[in-house]
Amino acid sequence: MRRRDMSEIHPVLVIGGGPAGLKASADLAELGYDVVLVEKLGQLGGAPIRWGYKTLAPELRPTEEVMGPLIEYVEGNGNVRVMKNSVVEGATGGLGDFTVTVRNLMNGATESLKASAIIVATGFEHFDAKVDPRYGYGRNPDVIGIHELEGMLKEGRVVKRNGDPPKRIAFIFCVGSRDKSTNLWCCTVCCGVSIKQAIELKHLLKDADIYMIYMDIRTFGLWEKLYWKSMEEYGINYIRGRVGEIYAIGDKLLVKGEDTLVRGPFEVLFDMVVLAVGMEPGSGTAQVARALNLKVNEFGFLEPRHPNIHHDSGRDGIYLAGACVAPMSVEEALAEGSAAAMQVAKALRRLQRAVVK
Amino acid sequence: MSQRKKKGEFIVERNYVDDQRIIEPEKLEIGGVDMSGRWGLLVLPRTIEDFDHSLHAMVKNHPRGRNIDRCWQCGNCTAACPVAEENPLFNPRYLIYIIKLGYKLEIEKFGNYVYFCGSCGRCSEVCPKDVDPSGVMEAIGTALRRKP
Repeated sequence: MRRRDMSEIHPVLVIGGGPAGLKASADLAELGYDVVLVEKLGQLGGAPIRWGYKTLAPELRPTEEVMGPLIEYVEGNGNVRVMKNSVVEGATGGLGDFTVTVRNLMNGATESLKASAIIVATGFEHFDAKVDPRYGYGRNPDVIGIHELEGMLKEGRVVKRNGDPPKRIAFIFCVGSRDKSTNLWCCTVCCGVSIKQAIELKHLLKDADIYMIYMDIRTFGLWEKLYWKSMEEYGINYIRGRVGEIYAIGDKLLVKGEDTLVRGPFEVLFDMVVLAVGMEPGSGTAQVARALNLKVNEFGFLEPRHPNIHHDSGRDGIYLAGACVAPMSVEEALAEGSAAAMQVAKALRRLQRAVVK
Repeated sequence: MSQRKKKGEFIVERNYVDDQRIIEPEKLEIGGVDMSGRWGLLVLPRTIEDFDHSLHAMVKNHPRGRNIDRCWQCGNCTAACPVAEENPLFNPRYLIYIIKLGYKLEIEKFGNYVYFCGSCGRCSEVCPKDVDPSGVMEAIGTALRRKP
């Protein structure tokens, strides 16, 4: 009689190569487990790498400091098999003995794999502001989303379509968030991210005047520091209200709204408008929910068995992590990836202890 | 010439229009035609069309107004103010807001109420962000007097 050793345990399947999935893969690999990491896109890193986030809130540290070592470890570690451009199409079985079908999106080939456990970390998509026509996103190139501004900041060149640097810039908060016609929830990070970007714009364009048009400022926890700093050190202006319409006038944008603190309408010309687009579950999460028969809540996020215990999917052997459960920051997604890896390690150790004849 | 009772008395629904928005020249001649009286009357739109940060800059440079940018409009100052308790037109939180963003019409309408401040300092005791609203009121008063 002996205990099973690790080589008899099937690899752990991790779906999604963003912060949560990478962290889960890295932690499991470090513990000695084999991991198969399936990523829909052609690169690892999730939203922070896909959209080229320059820095992360709240300390404006380069994104690479967090994502670089993780990607390097996962790709360089012999324990992780990375399958890019691939999606999981189905899974049968249970803890210790899943049979998983993975389809390669480039050549259409499917592969059948054995897996001991599954971690779902399919993340989020930025809200597509074309859905909400009032902002003119998609019609006017000087109306951009915060994810697009990140890329421009990273290149160190923020200009209007005509090549001029913008002098007066508006950020509009809660686009595709907290709104019955789009998404009902708060994305939790866009206040902080917008404020972070406003500070970075001030570094890049010293003479720019920046106006944050907000309903509430929700810079949770220690991110609050960003909010204070932006007002006190960078002179960024805050206007309480909502924007109803944006018109293009020449190469300027006429932003119409109400300042709810003065109870009066405003119609002011801006050079550039940045939309603080929210987070939504995205097609990847919906596809995985169908493939693995997972519960989805009213908003389309994956629903854990208990609302305060995210990693428990309600299906034995399948664990959840990151922004596919609820909107969250990169630091939270990393912690959830680690937490899911720990749950998998616990479950697999129980299996190992089972005595083999 | 008949004696006018009230600015813009010809305006229908006169109560909707602030005095500050009415431009009514005594004598107006355009192209040799006398346009005085109701023909020369102009009502400015209520809409905020621009920001003017010149007063804000003056307040910031005043030794007692330098913390104005810390204000996030919580309203603790107005809540503690014994003057605002009696006079709704004096509102330190609101004065800070319209000066910061430079809302011209609002400043014309409410700016002079800044001199109602009794400098008791209660606002500065309760301010959670050390704006020193009492000092900012003094700085706004100075800026309004010195405004070119």
